[in-house]
Amino acid sequence: MNCQQAEEHFSAHFEDTLDYQTLQGFEEHLAACEACQQEYDRFQESVKAVQQLPQIEPSPYFMPTLLQRISEERSEIKGIKGTTATGWKQLVDVFRRPVWAFSGILALILAVTGTYLYQDGFLFDRDADSTVVTPASQKVQVATSPVVTRRAVGDGSQRLPGDVTRPSVRPLQQHYILKQVSYTNASTRGGL
Amino acid sequence: MLDLDDELMERYQKGDEGAFTLLVRRHQQPLINFIARFINDRDNAEDLAQETFIRMFKAAHRYKPGRAQFKTWMYHIAKNLCKNEIRNRERRDKYRVDNVVNSGSEGHNDTEEIDLIANAPANPAFQPEVELERKELRNALQKAIAELPEQYRLPLVLRDLQGLSYDEISEVLELRSGTTKSRINRARLMLKDKLKPFI
Repeated sequence: MNCQQAEEHFSAHFEDTLDYQTLQGFEEHLAACEACQQEYDRFQESVKAVQQLPQIEPSPYFMPTLLQRISEERSEIKGIKGTTATGWKQLVDVFRRPVWAFSGILALILAVTGTYLYQDGFLFDRDADSTVVTPASQKVQVATSPVVTRRAVGDGSQRLPGDVTRPSVRPLQQHYILKQVSYTNASTRGGL
Repeated sequence: MLDLDDELMERYQKGDEGAFTLLVRRHQQPLINFIARFINDRDNAEDLAQETFIRMFKAAHRYKPGRAQFKTWMYHIAKNLCKNEIRNRERRDKYRVDNVVNSGSEGHNDTEEIDLIANAPANPAFQPEVELERKELRNALQKAIAELPEQYRLPLVLRDLQGLSYDEISEVLELRSGTTKSRINRARLMLKDKLKPFI
């Protein structure tokens, strides 16, 4: 065992945790090396001095202050647990959560936009409801507005301002109208 | 079988509010001692100790008795708070050895010494030179500990001042047992060199 190796075992020897073989090597080295012996003596003394440092006492204010703080924390926790929110308060509490608040705002925006578009006739063609299928003797009357008339003709190339959603609705409506007309014609021929 | 700390925690979790106060009373002194020695500042030590207990109080319902030791949990929280405090102090560049634990801030050492001097004639064993030497050594020790790098200071304080086992220290510091042992040995060697003029 050399000096460096011996130094690495100072703590283990001080705490008596060396195995037999290492202990033998350590003690042999110390017996032969005066410098290490002196270092080890100083090592032991310094460790003992640290271990004998006095414990620092808490000030007299420590415990009362801490108990006061704990009591405040306790009442805060109880306050949160004990509160049974009702009505508006409950609603407000729900919207305190960012996700819920965001969802609420999004839903509100969608609702307002939807209402606006519906009223302006962008989303649903209210005129489509006015499509009237008349008996075969009469012609199919499709709405009164020029927009719908144009649609009945099947002209998709021209669009009026605001006629955004129509292409998706038009083919179905057209098909429906044609089917109705042919049905009506056929049944009329049957003698009605 | 649960130790007393775990038993008290279990009682607290079951609604016995006084159990936590008992735990605080049991551990307040070692905790303050640990923090004060580690950050070398007695005044802040009490604040940090309070903060440690408050954090433990808030998280007490999550504590599982028998799984981890109350003591190691406490030191773990305190260690993190101390590290933050040291970092903040360094950032503010206000780290001085003004408010150090030595020079009379160790408990009531000044008053104790004044008492000793006042009672000197009545105390035949009193030797002012010896007392002064002791005080000088204590100051040197505290200074030497404070000067150790954090990674060595922390295990040394936990081992030699708080008396924790190597396993407990490894748990607090989240280190392997071998690393803990070698750091403690290294810290003691560094301390021995720093104390050369005194020992």
